[in-house]
This record gives sequence, C-alpha cells and structure tokens, in this order.
Amino acid sequence: MNIKTRKIVGQVLFILFTFYLDGLMKWAFLNNMNHSVVIILPQIMLMAIIMLTMRIDDRRQLIIYGIVFGVMYDSYYYGIIGLYTILLPLVMVGIDHFKFLLVKNNMGYELSVYFLSLTFLQSGIYLLERLLQQTDTNVLNFITYTLGPTLLWNVVVFFILFIPLANLSEWLMKYRRDSK
Amino acid sequence: MQKFFSNKKLIILMILIIVTFGLLAVTVNIRDKKNTPPFVQQVGNDVVSVVGGVFAYPTNAVKNATSEFSDLYNTYSENKRLKSRIGELAQNQAKLEVVQDENKKLKQELKLNGTLTDYTTVNASVLSRSPSSWQSYLTINRGQTSGIKKNMPVMSGKGLIGRVIEVDKISSKVELISTDNELNDKFAAEISGSNNKNITGVVSRYDSSTGDLVMENVNSTKDIKKGQSVITSGLGGLTPRGLYIGKVYGIKKDNYGMTNSVYITPAAELRNFTVVTVIKSSVSGEN
Repeated sequence: MNIKTRKIVGQVLFILFTFYLDGLMKWAFLNNMNHSVVIILPQIMLMAIIMLTMRIDDRRQLIIYGIVFGVMYDSYYYGIIGLYTILLPLVMVGIDHFKFLLVKNNMGYELSVYFLSLTFLQSGIYLLERLLQQTDTNVLNFITYTLGPTLLWNVVVFFILFIPLANLSEWLMKYRRDSK
Repeated sequence: MQKFFSNKKLIILMILIIVTFGLLAVTVNIRDKKNTPPFVQQVGNDVVSVVGGVFAYPTNAVKNATSEFSDLYNTYSENKRLKSRIGELAQNQAKLEVVQDENKKLKQELKLNGTLTDYTTVNASVLSRSPSSWQSYLTINRGQTSGIKKNMPVMSGKGLIGRVIEVDKISSKVELISTDNELNDKFAAEISGSNNKNITGVVSRYDSSTGDLVMENVNSTKDIKKGQSVITSGLGGLTPRGLYIGKVYGIKKDNYGMTNSVYITPAAELRNFTVVTVIKSSVSGEN
C-alpha cells in the first residue's frame, strides 16, 4: 500500500470514528429523554469533515466522502435518506469553493466555517423535515430549543477538540507536501 | 431553450433538487408503509451497527458503571424499603404461579391458543441514539433473525419506552415514546382502577416541558385518581395487554375545555439503561 492509499484509509477511519462518536455522545451524555426541552445534537463528524475539507484540494474526493458518509448517516441514524446525503456534499463543495479566501490553520476561520456549516445543515434538515411533515415544531421553537443549544455545545466542543483534530487532519494530509 | 440547457450549473441544481425530494419521499414512504427497508439499506445498516458495537460496548460498560455508582448513594434507604417488600413478594410470586397455572388450564379447557396478555420477550442491548431532534431512535442489536418485527413494543426495566420502527437483519431502530411525531407514537392504554370499570384511552402525546405522557380520548375521567397505574390495553392488536406505562399524574382540560387529557408520569427511567426488552405478542393476525 502506498502512502497515499494509507492516508486515505486513515481519513476514512477518522471520519468513521467521529461518525460513531456522534451517536454515542448522544446516547451516553446528552440523553435527555425525560425532560427533553433542550435538544443538543453532537456534530463531531461534521467537525472532522470540515477539518478535512479545509485541507483536501481534490473536489471529487470530497464529494465522494460527502455522499458516502451522508448516506450512512441518513440510513443509520435518521432512517430517511436525502438529508445529509445532499446537504453534506453541498456544504463541502461550498467550503472548497470559497476556501482560497481563508487563511489556513487559523482557529477563528475554521470555527466560523464550522459555525456557518452547522447552521446551514441543521436549518436545511429542519426545512426538509418540516416540508415532509416529520415534525411540527415551529421556527421559533426550533431556533430556541434545538439550533441554539446545538450550536453552543458544538462550538464549546470545537474549542476543546480543535488542536488534536486539526493536528490529526493535518497529519492525514501530509503526503501532498512530501510528494510536491 | 438551447441557452437554458447549456447552463450547466442550473441543470445540476435542478437535478439536485429532484434527487433530494425523490429520495426523501421514497424513503419516508417505505418507512411508513413497508415492513422492512430495502435489502441494500438493511445490509448497510447491519454492517454499520456491527462495527458500531465495538464502540458501543465500552460506552455501555462505562454507563453502567456510572449508574451503579449513583445507585450506591441511596443503597441504605432503598435496602430498608426493599426488605419490607420481600415477604410480600414471595407471597405474590406463589400466588402468581398458582394463578398462571390455573389460567393455563382454563385456557386449554376453552381451547384458547393466545390471548391479549400473552407475549414472549427478546432482550437487546442499545448501540446508539440518533443525533437527531425529531427522529429519536435507539439502535438495538437484534433484528429479523431474532424474530423482531415492525411495531413491536419495547420496554426497559420498568416500563414501556417505545416501539420498533425499522427492522434490519441483525439490528433495528426503536422510536421512543417521547417523540413529537404525530403518526407513530400512539399506544392504546387503560387505567387499572380499584373497581372493575375499565377506563381506556390512547397515549398519544408527549409533553416535553414536563416530561409527561398525555393520554387522550379517555372515555370517562370520573374515577381517575392520582397515582393509579396505566397499562397498555391490548386494543388495536399491535401491543399485548398489561405492559406498564406509568402512573397518573393529573388531569387537564384542553385549551377549549372540551376533552380531558390524563397526564402520566412514565415509569421507565428514560435515561439510565443499556438493555431493552422487545415484546413479541403471540396473538396471531397482526404484523
């Protein structure tokens, strides 16, 4: 196995691990079933994917990651295919399109990109589910009880996990610099 | 027209929108109407759940350990209370055995194969919970191969927690009773009163601000007292009779003062459990 394949396997395992972490976090710590006024959704996979998107330049690879993990997320967690499957690649292509504007390796930039993507993703999911009558929550309740707490929690976690995650995704991309 | 089709981005956007809504509509329909998802999705979910088990077992172990730790705090008072119940329990168990035996003989006499109260159980451990606001699903590690079918009720240690909504080969999804979904989370219930009169209704809503289940369409609220226990009534055929849901907390009129809703404190501690029990009703004619 050459170095490139090995790094790609590493990237996939990294995303896969965060994929499971989302569900386990929700199950183990944020399992507010008896008093579910505030709903916090851990989005660590999105964190990993954005870290990688900021560093990978191959758009085709990004779209494949987005679709594969989007389908997995939808099928395993949501039971409805078409939410992450579409929105995740869209987010990734969007970041890839505008990332030439951003300074690499800057926590502030990555945080704001993550913040915007999370808002876009959650709002998109809300709109689609509302359209398909999977929920009857109104917009204000969605912003107050779901979007707000989710953003807050995830931004805090982003601060905590930024250094290890950024280093890991940097390392998972390193072969490009060596080969250049 | 020529110009329209030469715009690549517009076409991509159009295809994206069509694909999105197509996929969503098809999968929602399949989930609501078919008993199992398509084969490819089943296999995919099973593979993901098998690998997920590797991560889930240590998490569940930690979860068990922490809940044991918190149990340790109130062990003394609990022990005292439990000791006083032990004598009662032995007597009840003996009585139960006699009654069950009698029941079996009487059923044979009447040539009854299964009644609403008959069921068998399958234990399963929880792999994860969906990080989603409106699909509050648990993934469990049992599926079709263990005889699980869609719509079977699921209990944790103390009471009802939800219903199976998707079955794959070796894993399934359980929709929790505390979901906002209007379509699925309804259970036919009855309040077991001291007198023989049955009070029936439908547990149809979940009040997220108080954490109470709401029972609607109640036929009479006259004799309901706080603290009475609520069980499934077995009407409708999907759920066997006699699964414990919770205790009556209070009665409220709706906004128009037309109907009464009974608020129920759920018995299942919807937080600290790692194992659930799927109830297989043995009455035929339901799927």
